[in-house]
Amino acid sequence: MMRVLGIETTCDETAASVVQLRPSGGGDILSNEVMSQIAEHAAYGGVVPEIAARAHVDVLDHLIKRALDKAGMKLSQLDGIAAAAGPGLVGGVIVGLTAGKALALATRKPFLAVNHLEGHALTARLTDGIAFPYLLLLVSGGHTQLLAVKGVGDYVRLGTTLDDAVGEAFDKVAKMLGLPYPGGPQVEKQALHGDPERFTLPRPMMGRPNADFSLSGLKTAVRIEAERISPLTKTDVADLCASFQAAIVDVLADRIRVALQRFETQLGAPSALVVAGGVAANGAIRRALSRFAGEAGLHLIVPSPVLCTDNGAMIAWAGIERLGLGMIDDLTFAPRPRWPLDGKAELSLNGKA
Amino acid sequence: MIILALDTSLSAVAACVLNADTNQVLAYETIGMERGHAEALLPLVDRVMARVEGGFSALGRVAVTIGPGSFTGIRVGVAAARALGLACEVPVVGVSTLAALAAPMMNLEPPATVIAAIDARHGQIYVQAFTPEGRTLISARIASVRDAVRLFGGGPLRVVGSGAQAVAIEAWTMGLKADVADVLNAPDIVYVARLGLLADPSVSARPLYLKAPDAKPQAAKHIPLAGSNQPF
Ligand SMILES: Nc1ncnc2c1ncn2[C@@H]1O[C@H](COP(=O)(O)OP(=O)(O)OP(=O)(O)O)[C@@H](O)[C@H]1O
Repeated sequence: MMRVLGIETTCDETAASVVQLRPSGGGDILSNEVMSQIAEHAAYGGVVPEIAARAHVDVLDHLIKRALDKAGMKLSQLDGIAAAAGPGLVGGVIVGLTAGKALALATRKPFLAVNHLEGHALTARLTDGIAFPYLLLLVSGGHTQLLAVKGVGDYVRLGTTLDDAVGEAFDKVAKMLGLPYPGGPQVEKQALHGDPERFTLPRPMMGRPNADFSLSGLKTAVRIEAERISPLTKTDVADLCASFQAAIVDVLADRIRVALQRFETQLGAPSALVVAGGVAANGAIRRALSRFAGEAGLHLIVPSPVLCTDNGAMIAWAGIERLGLGMIDDLTFAPRPRWPLDGKAELSLNGKA
Repeated sequence: MIILALDTSLSAVAACVLNADTNQVLAYETIGMERGHAEALLPLVDRVMARVEGGFSALGRVAVTIGPGSFTGIRVGVAAARALGLACEVPVVGVSTLAALAAPMMNLEPPATVIAAIDARHGQIYVQAFTPEGRTLISARIASVRDAVRLFGGGPLRVVGSGAQAVAIEAWTMGLKADVADVLNAPDIVYVARLGLLADPSVSARPLYLKAPDAKPQAAKHIPLAGSNQPF
C-alpha cells in the first residue's frame, strides 16, 4: 500500500503528515501534525517572512518525527517523500524542500516536489475519491481562483482575482475595524449579530462574462462607510462586518455561476464543485455554496477545516498521486516562490500565483 | 566514528566525511557559490556519500555550520543536517562558522590573538576573538569594525575571513600589529568536521543568526472606535 510523507512550510504553518492510499479510492490520513505560527506574527499584523523561516527550521524535524510516530511508521516503510516547493514565502519553502530532499536522499526513496496549490486542488480526491474533471474554488489568504481540475498537473484557470484575495480582504477589513489578527474568523463572528443590509456595498465584477474577481473596491467602500460614521460603536462594527460578508457571498456565488458555465462549454459537466483554502471555514460562505450547489444539481465537497487550511496531508496526497504516475523529481529541484497551476494562463495580475 | 560535515553558511557549498578513529578524510567536495545553495547541497552530499563505504548507515554523527552568515544559507544547512540526522538516527551538532574559520589558525608561531571576521555589510562584521590556543576571548557578535577592534586589546592579531582586510586596516590605524592570514569567505570543511567531533551530541544544531529579523511591530491603525468599544 503506497504511503508518502508530506511536508508543508510555504507560509506560516509548519506541517507534516503521513497518508496511505486506500485500495478502494481516496486515502487514509495516518497522521497530520500542524504547528501554527500565528502568535509569532500577531504583533506585526501579518506574516513576517524572516520570522516564519526561522520558526520553520526550529520545529520541522520534531514535527516530522511526531508525524511518523503518530502514524506508527518508520521512514523505511514509506514509498516516497513529498515537500511543497512553492508557491509561497521562499525562506520557508527552502526549509521544507531541503528537509524533504535530505530525507529522500538518506533513505533512497523517491522525492516529490509538490505545488502547494495542487495540494489544495487534489484534497477532494483524498477525502472523497472523486473523478476528474471537477470545478475548484480556491479561496485563501493568498489566493482566489476558479479552476477546472482535469488531471494531476492539468489545470485550466477559469478566473482569478485582479487584486486582493478573499482572505486578504477579510483580514484588511478586520484590521481597519480594530479586530485582532488573523481577521477572517473575527469578521465572521462580528457578522453573526450584525445587519447585512445596513450598508449598501458594491458587488464588484458581478454579471461580468469572465469569472475573475476584484475586491479592493469593496474593501475601500467599507472604509469609506466606516470613516463616515466613526467613531464606531460595537453595533457599527458588527453591521459593517455583516454587510461586507454579504457582499462577498454574493460575489462568490455569481463568479462560480459564470465559471460553471465556462466549465460546461469546455469540458462538459464537472463531477463536483470543490472548495479549498482557509476562507472555506466561513459558515456564511459554506451555506451560500451549498445553496448554489443544490440549485445547480452539483455535488459539493468542502473538506474539513483542518484540510482546508495549510496542512501536510494534502502535500502527502499530491505526492501519492504524482508517485503513482511516475512524476518523480530530483534533488536539484529549486524552490518556486511563483508557481501557477495553469502554466498557460497569463500570470495573475496580482502576481501571487 | 564517522562524521559527515556540511557547510552552506557563506560563499560555498561543502561536505566532507571524516573517520575520527583514523583521522582520515574519506570524501570531500566544495564548490564556491554566492547563491543556489538550496539546489546544490543535496546532489553534492549524494556524490560525497557515494564514496563512503556503507553509505549513510555508516554515519555516527552529522555536523553543520550554524552561522553567522547568510540567513538562507544557514537554514539550508541546518534543515538538511537535521533531516539527515532524523533519517540516520544520529546526533546533529552545530559548529559556529566563526570558530570553523578560526580553527586552522590556532597554535601557530608567533603566538597571536586569532580574530575571525565575516563581512556583515553596512560597515559591520560578525566577529569572534580567540586566544592563541583557541579559547574564546570575545564571544561571537555583530559590531562595527571600529567597535570590534577596540575590544581586542594589545595584539598582535591574526585575522581570518571576509572581514579580515577591514579589521586589519582598522587595527593598523590604531597602531596594532595585525596579520591577514586568510580572506576566504568559507571555512575549511575538514575543520567543521573536526570541531563537530568535539561538540556535545546532546545539543541539536540551531541557527546562530546574531541579528534579529528585520521587522517592526505595527501600531494598530484602525478607524476610531467609540469610547465603550475599545480594541481587544
Ligand atoms: N471564518 C473565516 N471567514 C473568513 N475568512 C477566514 C475565516 N477563517 C479563515 N479565514 C481566512 O483564511 C485565510 C487563511 O487561509 P489559509 O491558511 O488557507 O491561507 P494562507 O496560508 O493565508 O494562504 P495560501 O494557502 O494561499 O498560501 C486568512 O486570510 C483568514 O483570514
